[in-house]
Amino acid sequence: MTELDGATVEVVRSYLLSAAEEMRATLVRTSFNPVIYEVHDFGMSMYDAGMRLIAEATGLTFFLGANDFALRRGVEYVGRENLHPGDVVLMNYPYWNSAHAYDATLFAPVFEGADLVGFLCVRAHWMDLGAKDPGYVLDSTDMHQEGLIFPGTKVVSRGEPVREIHELIRFNSRMPDEVLGDLHAQIAALRTGERRFLEILAKFGRPTVEAAVERIIADGEARTRAALAALPQGSWTAVDWVDDDGITDDPVKMQVTVTIADGVFTVDFAGSAPATAGPINMPYGATEAICKVVLKSLTSADQPSNEGTVAPLVVKAEPGTLFHAVYPQPTFTLWTGIVAVELILKALAQGMPDRLAASSGGDVPGFMMVGVHPDTGKLFAVSNNDPVGWGATPHHDGMHAATHVSGSTGRTTPIEVLEAKTGMFFERVEIRTDSGGAGRHRGGAGLRRDIRFVTGGEFLSVIKKTRSRPWALDGGHEPEANQVIVFPGTDREERVSTRRTAVAPGDRVTLLTAGGGGHGDPRDRDPAAVRDDVAEGYVSPQAARDLYGVDVDD
Amino acid sequence: MSERTIRLAVDIGGTFVDAMELDSRTNRVRFRKASTTPARPWEGVLNAIEALGTDLSRVELFIHGTTLGLNAVLERRGGPTGIITNEGFRDVFLIGRGNVPPDHMYDFQYERPESLVRRRHTAGVRGRLDYRGRVVEDLDPDSVRAAARTLVEEHGVHGIAVCFLHSYLNPAHERQAAAIIREAYPQVSLSLSTDIVREYREYERTSTTVLEAYIRPIFESYVDELEAGLAARGFGGRFLIMRSGGGSMTSSVAKTSPTHTVLSGPAGGIVGAAYLADALKRDYLLTFDIGGTSLDACVIERGSAVAAYEAQLEHFPLLIPTYDIRTIGAGGGSIAWLDRGLLKVGPESAGADPGPVSYGRGGARPTVTDAAVVLGYVDPDRFLGGEMGLHAEAARAALEEQIAGPLGLPVESAAAGVFDVLLAKTVGAVRQITVERGHDPRVFSLLAFGGAGPLLAPLLAREMGIREVVVPFAPSGFSAWGMLSADIVGDFSRTVMATLDDIDLAGLDERFAEVEAEAVASLKEQGVPAGLAILERQLELRYLGQEHTLTVPVGRDLDAETVRVTFEELHRARYGHAMGNPLQILNLRVRGIGRADRPELVRPPRREKDLVPRLRRAYDFGVRALSDFAVYDRADLAPGDAFAGPALVDEGTSTTVVPSGQRVEVDEFGHLLVTLDEEA
Repeated sequence: MTELDGATVEVVRSYLLSAAEEMRATLVRTSFNPVIYEVHDFGMSMYDAGMRLIAEATGLTFFLGANDFALRRGVEYVGRENLHPGDVVLMNYPYWNSAHAYDATLFAPVFEGADLVGFLCVRAHWMDLGAKDPGYVLDSTDMHQEGLIFPGTKVVSRGEPVREIHELIRFNSRMPDEVLGDLHAQIAALRTGERRFLEILAKFGRPTVEAAVERIIADGEARTRAALAALPQGSWTAVDWVDDDGITDDPVKMQVTVTIADGVFTVDFAGSAPATAGPINMPYGATEAICKVVLKSLTSADQPSNEGTVAPLVVKAEPGTLFHAVYPQPTFTLWTGIVAVELILKALAQGMPDRLAASSGGDVPGFMMVGVHPDTGKLFAVSNNDPVGWGATPHHDGMHAATHVSGSTGRTTPIEVLEAKTGMFFERVEIRTDSGGAGRHRGGAGLRRDIRFVTGGEFLSVIKKTRSRPWALDGGHEPEANQVIVFPGTDREERVSTRRTAVAPGDRVTLLTAGGGGHGDPRDRDPAAVRDDVAEGYVSPQAARDLYGVDVDD
Repeated sequence: MSERTIRLAVDIGGTFVDAMELDSRTNRVRFRKASTTPARPWEGVLNAIEALGTDLSRVELFIHGTTLGLNAVLERRGGPTGIITNEGFRDVFLIGRGNVPPDHMYDFQYERPESLVRRRHTAGVRGRLDYRGRVVEDLDPDSVRAAARTLVEEHGVHGIAVCFLHSYLNPAHERQAAAIIREAYPQVSLSLSTDIVREYREYERTSTTVLEAYIRPIFESYVDELEAGLAARGFGGRFLIMRSGGGSMTSSVAKTSPTHTVLSGPAGGIVGAAYLADALKRDYLLTFDIGGTSLDACVIERGSAVAAYEAQLEHFPLLIPTYDIRTIGAGGGSIAWLDRGLLKVGPESAGADPGPVSYGRGGARPTVTDAAVVLGYVDPDRFLGGEMGLHAEAARAALEEQIAGPLGLPVESAAAGVFDVLLAKTVGAVRQITVERGHDPRVFSLLAFGGAGPLLAPLLAREMGIREVVVPFAPSGFSAWGMLSADIVGDFSRTVMATLDDIDLAGLDERFAEVEAEAVASLKEQGVPAGLAILERQLELRYLGQEHTLTVPVGRDLDAETVRVTFEELHRARYGHAMGNPLQILNLRVRGIGRADRPELVRPPRREKDLVPRLRRAYDFGVRALSDFAVYDRADLAPGDAFAGPALVDEGTSTTVVPSGQRVEVDEFGHLLVTLDEEA
């Protein structure tokens, strides 16, 4: 194999990363749905011929890790020998795709002449693919209620769009224009990536690129192993609960044991509940993806991802359990994975409280409204993921109202967009005083959002951690929990979790998102910092007195 | 009184102030640099003018480019700034869109940079519009008074940003609130979103308004100081300030809309590039501007630079027209270092202080400039015209010790590696801006300027197969030169939000006319007679359901079919497909332009004596080895001269490096044209 110097490797790496970024730019600029262009709910990655990750573009961390698993299963199903230049394959079979059926994974082989030299993968959330309910499915009991399934189906064959498949999608979607628009956007992104990939091979020659890729992957792995070796070694177990499975009201147990030993990072979900009747189960690939996110944050947060950066990861989850769904177990509400990110961190924090932040708000508080728009007479399904407080760290306070760590580059949907595209009118979107956990370092505050409906429809709250507070560290206090209150102040008032609620004009909903956990004893907090928090309205004078022992004039 | 025949441009950069004067009687251009004076920035401007020796009483026009507003934000030098918004929404600015910057996506302990506004300085007032701009609840004057009282009397804010939900559709509440606040507190500087940006998305609009409120007091006092300093030295001409999105505006207009200046740093170079593109008839020109800490690139298509309507200042969105400039944090001062045996360049920069090792000011880590010294590109004794000696041996030792030794490479190869890594980063950014426009990068000419532009541009050209590099005179002062040709420009927009099929075109024409009247009035105020105002109309369009728009120029006669065809052609060119779906108009835009007299390009005389180059050993990227370079002084070159690489053209403040396989011709105006050999 060609031996490369450290300069050439970096040159090739730059070319690969900029190809991935160009794919991203193409997708964002041509997509049709706000979940892609506003929320940035997508992930795209490049692979070598052996399907090892070589570069990824900025996106939802949680999606990126899932592509690796999905691509392998997709290629296995289609058969390498059946892939041809110009093909694009659509796959959303949850157990292979590592996500629910509305996360559409498109992948394409890249050929240099007759040789298959790599793969490209673009995953993005689609607005509707014919599931039992419009928008989001919250209470499915098997996969077939969750949308039209493509196990690995060519949507472009040898460069020609497969019209029958496009029409099949059109006739199975409640929002065909948006979905086909996004399909085109994803194909355009793959085409961009393919051109760049081939140019890189032509420019440097395949042996040089292959040698650089080997070095990039080896370097990623060496970095991760070195970082693991520098962490406390041991094994730690933590338990938390998912609110419910969407069918019954019973909390569902999650348990994880994380072990760092001998250069390996093992995440074992033994002790977690069996797969549930409702759709909160995780496909195995999605479980693997959340473990990658945590490992990466711990060992190579500032490095581009590749096969090597997650090589020392072992994930264990028995088939048929919450973290390893099998056919036909429902998987639509993948929020379990979000809550589980904090669970893995909770286990780790026992071994390294002086290195980790306390829990953030613990979940991604999502909501969506589905209805018919009075101006257009057309169906809409528009969503938003609200920010939460971030956990305090050993060194500083947690951020107020920020996107959850599991996908922190995601953005909220603007109020002006939500009001224009749905029947929601907002009466308040404001930081929630006293919601951050007290501590020597204070957890960030969560958010309060008051909604009044001006047209009827359905309001979907999508959240799985409202019944318990996120965890604190090292003597810090737990923050206020997430809450969803429908019809507040009426005799129909109810605290709910994930729920599809019929709403009429004049109805209200209040959403409260959790703060982050505190770190360290609040009595050790600098009194000047407490006074400043009071002046800013993050902490009330009473909490300053009761929790921090600091008297502040009202 | 002496005759005013001089135009003077002064550009403040991070390290130097560049001053360039043009005397219209002789068509002569003179150029000098002085150091920046960060504490009292106007003094650096006056120093540079003094160094140049310009008689200010003879100056007809003074054009100024400044990044003062930008620095005020980066260094948090603004006074306390308040926000008045709708009750219940005081945190829109503090929360933003919730997201963490992409380069921190795996950092679970990320902290936001310090905000520009403290939460206690934000207040909500009663009154609300809906998504169509209809009043849902009247504005409550008492709550406005109360909010202003708290902000001004209790908290002593200097400026207040007023931004209400949906105000882009209906400015009434913001105007009412402003009248109430002005009456009570005439001394407070007020910024209304309505006056600055009439576009949707509350966070982005609020951020733009806050930035203006934050910058304005500092900017005003800077302009006042500078005006007084100039007047005291006899200046009585017109005073213009460069805009981020092209052209310039009078200093009094700049004081009322300072956000338009914040990204004007690279604007002078782009204005100059657009002028050259036109004069030299280059349809596709790419600017390549490298200074000490960053590299800026921008596409110029058929004489006009590509515009963008959303920029970022630090992480704050800014909805103002700017040039679509890609910036990479890599320049002459970028530090080269090893990370587990892999060579990295930047993002850390040695800046001006301590600077590269070779500057001998205490810098110990090798930079791109040091690599250039090791490669033999910079003559240590002639750097900056010999005014500043270079410590070549120290640069070599640093590269040897920190890079070449650990990599097991000869020191020249390691230095070449530094260039390779920097170029690889650059290629990605440059590619992206050309392909986003639907063009192959190879059809472009590369215009190289900034101190380090000519050092790297020919290498980038060979890397990307770009056929031609153009090196203007005094490349390190090109931005100041560009300012001399800046027009007076104003941009105006409205959100329309209607489908092309349903819109009443006559009504749209009326709205255009209304905005045009605004543009004409603004230009008139700046000394452009109504008859000379040039007006350009544009629509921002997208497929219904898409978010990102494409900007399509439209003529006076609005015709839906023409608009559709133009949009679809553009969409296909950019993204490879068109959809035939209904089109939605997001914004209409009007640009008003008052043309400036452009400096004439001078034709230097032809050569009379023979041209005899010196020889110097330097690294030739054409063969990847040291070889003998012919070294020419730029001042000795004349139109018609031509020579092949390996060659160096030295002009004190910058060096053009021409590897073998590339050749140079001097055009009729004295520009260097570096082209690839046919067979290469």
